[in-house]
Amino acid sequence: MGKLKPLTDNQKRALALFAERMDGRLRTHLNSCVHCGLCDESCHYYLRYRDARYIPANKVEQIARIYRRYHTVLGRLLPRWVGAADLTDETVKEMVDVVFGGCSMCGRCALHCSVGVDIPFLVQTARSMLAELGMVPKGLQSTVDTALRTGNNMGIPREEFVDTLEWLEEDLRMEVQDETASIPLDAEGKRILYTLNPREPKFFPLSISAMAKIYHAAKEDWTISTRCYDVTNYAYFSGDGKAARELTQRLFDEVRRLRADTLVLAECGHGARAIRWEGPRWLEESYPYNVTTVIELVAEYVRSGRITLDPAKNTKRITLHDPCNLVRGGGVIEEQRFALRHACTDFVEMTPNREDNYCCGGGGGQLSMGEYRDRRVETGQIKAEQIRRTGAKVVATPCHNCIDQLMELNRVYDLGVEIKTVCEIVADALVLT
Amino acid sequence: MSIPHWILLACFGAFVGASLFLCLQVAASARTIDPSKPKGNTWTGVAYSFTGAMSPLKKESARRHVPTYVLGLLFHGGVFVGFAWLVALFFDARAPLVLTRTSVPVLGLTGLCGAALLVKRIVKADLRRLSNPDDYFSNVLVVGFQMMTAVALVESRILPALFVYAGVLLLYVPLGKLRHAIYFPMARIYLGAFFGKRGVWGAKRRNQWEN
Repeated sequence: MGKLKPLTDNQKRALALFAERMDGRLRTHLNSCVHCGLCDESCHYYLRYRDARYIPANKVEQIARIYRRYHTVLGRLLPRWVGAADLTDETVKEMVDVVFGGCSMCGRCALHCSVGVDIPFLVQTARSMLAELGMVPKGLQSTVDTALRTGNNMGIPREEFVDTLEWLEEDLRMEVQDETASIPLDAEGKRILYTLNPREPKFFPLSISAMAKIYHAAKEDWTISTRCYDVTNYAYFSGDGKAARELTQRLFDEVRRLRADTLVLAECGHGARAIRWEGPRWLEESYPYNVTTVIELVAEYVRSGRITLDPAKNTKRITLHDPCNLVRGGGVIEEQRFALRHACTDFVEMTPNREDNYCCGGGGGQLSMGEYRDRRVETGQIKAEQIRRTGAKVVATPCHNCIDQLMELNRVYDLGVEIKTVCEIVADALVLT
Repeated sequence: MSIPHWILLACFGAFVGASLFLCLQVAASARTIDPSKPKGNTWTGVAYSFTGAMSPLKKESARRHVPTYVLGLLFHGGVFVGFAWLVALFFDARAPLVLTRTSVPVLGLTGLCGAALLVKRIVKADLRRLSNPDDYFSNVLVVGFQMMTAVALVESRILPALFVYAGVLLLYVPLGKLRHAIYFPMARIYLGAFFGKRGVWGAKRRNQWEN
């Protein structure tokens, strides 16, 4: 009746990892879901497909049923009665499809759960078990491996990165007509060490230019490391705790080596969350330096008058997409609005917005998992419709991951909008004195 | 005390012991130390978690499912009314007649609310897929308790049966789905602390960035 099925060595390791992580928080959330199903419409996957597989409660169930089987009395004795399940190839297969392919860990469901179950936390724990089983989808695993091997998730060689920045520096000098304008590299003892999403040097160098222009206007004392600058941490999404820690440690060591006062996190939702909020837990210590996001920094520049903006330089209607990990997962909610209101003449909100926003569909590592490309684009329809309803001509978002997804949605759903980062819009509005 | 009294008392003792064990399990591994620097306030978030965040104005799941939300509220309210009466009946405490007469239809109604939720679980395909036998059984057990308490208020001959039934219910709480009653406050605390510390819940952030 309740006899446990034999386990492979990998499955034993995955269960051991699960048991090792069984702290009060995990135990509480695993025991709290009542299967009321009221969370259904808080999920963009469910809204798009109306398929019970994507109800957040079913995502909880993927790991809760394993918990009940191995950690509760009734689950051991009467597994069918309480819906407990052995860890088998079948349960693992379903788990992969649901927690990797059917969830962007956006956290909207947690905010609206009747009980208060932290669903993305449980999904992340399930992903950790799958990482231990070697079941992380190839694209996501390869992104993590590349970051570990080369120091950035795009595998950009250092020389190429330096060349790009030197070219951008020349460009900056021409644009601001100041020969002293610079993009300082590997300088020690600066106030700010600025990070980048590797997609910037690879595909969107104008984002770097925009930020360099803002730093120049603010007369900031800053630098970029050419050895360790990657703000992303895809191991957070793959559930690989060791890799997540390793990537965080590298950045931690670089800030200390360069003796910077403040680590500024580029426009990257999950990177900001991983480094600022999860990193100290992975390293088991507080950072001995300040950590802030570039959005908070720029908003402060505007508020303090350190930079001056002319909103008349951006007259097209602009709307804002809230990146889940920056907003719901990181509390950076009003700053980007403040900056945009000062940088354009016609700013409109999407509905819903702020912590109630819908994921664009590209979060949770979805952009690197080619296996689920169709789902990613189809679930993005919710966001596409939100954008269309605003009548905006420009969509701003402080996250390069979201930028990629929004660009694809723009093309697929024929939205006819421009997609920009918040800092690009602020840079366009700068009044240089 | 009669045998049913003793049975209920023993079951209550087991319930308290098991519940304490579950709570201590959480407390012993709470790992409350989070070395990240706060943007908001943990305790403001926790307070908000139990208040504003529960309101249908803020909670979309409640707003989009008002009938279920109301049924759920009444059903859970009935649990507290039922247990209050169980204590009174156990100690043979005299209550004003008007209170007794009001409680009978109230418990009948809250029990019916629970039964309606059960019907919804049976009828809706999505909910059926999410459900296991424990979900149905737990619902029936609690509906039965409320109905039986209502009857016991007008027919004292079923009191011994009510005591035994309530004992079974108490024994089952820490074992099955009903254990959410024990974990619910802790889940709200954890979630409130999470969103509070990060400045998502409870922070008066809009004033800061008004202009």
